[in-house]
Amino acid sequence: MYEIWLGLNIVFELALTALPWLGGAAAVWIALMSAALLRRHAHWREALPASLVIGATFAALAVWLVPFVTRSSISEMGYWVDWANLIGLSVAVGGLAFAFVWPLLTAVSGPRQDTPTSGQPT
Amino acid sequence: MTTRIQDATVTAAPTDIGRRRFMLRASALPLGAAALSAATSRPARAAVKTSAHIVIAGSGLGGVAIANRLSRELDGAKITIVDRKEIHNYQPGYTLVATGIWPVAKVSDRNADLLPGRVEWVKDMAAGFDPDANTLVTEGGQRIRYDYLVVATGLHLDFAQIDGMDVSAIGANGLTSVYPGPQAAQATWLAMDAFRRQGGEALMTLPATPLKCAGAPLKMTFMLVDRLREAGMRASSKVGFHSALDNIFSVKPVNDDVLRRWADLDVPVTFNSKLVGIDIGARRATFLTPEGERNELGYDFIHVVPPMRAPDAVKNSPLAWQDGPFAAGGWLEVDKDTLRHRRYPNVFGLGDINGTPRGKTAATIKKSAPLVARNLIDVIAGGEPSQRFDGYTSCPLLLREGSALLVEFDYEGRLVPSLPMIEPLQDSYFAWLMKYRLLKPAYMAVAKGRV
Ligand SMILES: Cc1cc2nc3c(=O)[nH]c(=O)nc-3n(C[C@H](O)[C@H](O)[C@H](O)COP(=O)(O)OP(=O)(O)OC[C@H]3O[C@@H](n4cnc5c(N)ncnc54)[C@H](O)[C@@H]3O)c2cc1C
Repeated sequence: MYEIWLGLNIVFELALTALPWLGGAAAVWIALMSAALLRRHAHWREALPASLVIGATFAALAVWLVPFVTRSSISEMGYWVDWANLIGLSVAVGGLAFAFVWPLLTAVSGPRQDTPTSGQPT
Repeated sequence: MTTRIQDATVTAAPTDIGRRRFMLRASALPLGAAALSAATSRPARAAVKTSAHIVIAGSGLGGVAIANRLSRELDGAKITIVDRKEIHNYQPGYTLVATGIWPVAKVSDRNADLLPGRVEWVKDMAAGFDPDANTLVTEGGQRIRYDYLVVATGLHLDFAQIDGMDVSAIGANGLTSVYPGPQAAQATWLAMDAFRRQGGEALMTLPATPLKCAGAPLKMTFMLVDRLREAGMRASSKVGFHSALDNIFSVKPVNDDVLRRWADLDVPVTFNSKLVGIDIGARRATFLTPEGERNELGYDFIHVVPPMRAPDAVKNSPLAWQDGPFAAGGWLEVDKDTLRHRRYPNVFGLGDINGTPRGKTAATIKKSAPLVARNLIDVIAGGEPSQRFDGYTSCPLLLREGSALLVEFDYEGRLVPSLPMIEPLQDSYFAWLMKYRLLKPAYMAVAKGRV
């Protein structure tokens, strides 16, 4: 329990050091979501596979990038705890990429040939 | 001892400025909202009502952490903190600065940003303590009476015990030391960077006294070897370690593991070899054996770790240990389990100043600040301290850029990983990530009294 509390506080303190970046990212995400949601006949479902592939690609790249940007390298993964952390971080990076790419692709994808959808996320 | 304690009653915790600021910032964060809101809604606590005057000597990590906790958990108390220092330095970051990993700007913050608004800040140093009169006297001559005292003055780096040592010369002539502060850490990196380009003979030292972060001299050694290796100068350089003790780390499994690693890295250790003098211009250091034999050695690079002791204000006061192993250093005489003074029951100690078997790290404060706050509140409420400290100490030991060990131990020197899956003696990226990226946020949360 204490470790979870500590972990949450670490995330919070990290976020405080990156407030402008987080604010900018949030603004971009809200803009993308608005564009996608306001679009008539938004194609959330059609954009999903490509978004998942892009998210997964980011996650895969992060396996190399995360150690690099933290001044380490993949060869320093000593045991399963290191791998679990790295994979967890990489999945988070992939998830973040997905969260931006899905509304983006939805907003920019062309009109569908068949029947219109509800315009809601699927 | 006269202690004025008002009836201690329990009321709802008042909202403080820090908390409001915290909530405001949290509400601005777009990501991880659920996690962050959980972080802001810390477990509800009831505050103890009292009009007691609590004086905290020292506003380092220990002083600030306890000030934040007490101002939240006590209702009506007057809290005064005494310390002239206005800049709060994140000392665990010094090793990262001194080895070229972090920029120096990352280790300094303003103390004013960390102190709760309701605390009175006396910007002066304690010159002495008169615990029989419940009084602290400042260097400026102010006499401050207290009902309860928390001593958190940290320790004194006693460079004066090394003949010829001049802290202001750190960075020149291959003279380095990570300990004195951010500038010394920065100067140490510049000297290390210059040394690794040309190679030569390096001397790493360890004194015989208790140390804050006793892993730091080891980290500096590992990182120097790594920097030489990176520069392709390892083969043309010698790195030797001189310990004034018969070990290099007081926790045996760690000691043995590091010695094994150094044998592999070709770092010979000379035991019972105490640095007692230095000729900075001539680059010569004098070491003393317990038998009184003096050895003078030349060097191109030296890392000086000073002997450490309590600051004079504590050392020369009745609060210091009067006999036993902690008397020579003048350390605060606290009971190692409750961290309450053994002779003055309205006095508690927190952090490096404590005369306890181990525990001079920020991680120790992470675990002991809540405990000292609780025990002090128990005493204010008319009871006895309810919490016991196990001596938790932790030290992420840098092995090279990108890898570290996450060593955690208790008073008995038992390895006590806080997460069961952590292997303390395993080279680890996770341990590196902790040191490189996660420890400072954890430290800030401790300072703000949240964890
Ligand atoms: C190089 C280095 C590396 C470290 N690495 C780690 C690490 O990796 N992990 C870890 O957990 N810990 C580490 N530490 C240890 C950690 O930083 C300290 O244990 C911790 O900061 C101690 O906090 P403190 O409040 O007891 O003392 P300090 O933070 O030193 O604060 C003491 C305060 O008391 C004030 N003071 C002194 N005398 C008086 C007086 N007479 N009157 C009033 N005020 C006074 C000082 O001005 C200072 O502000 C490291 C330390 C160093 C130096």
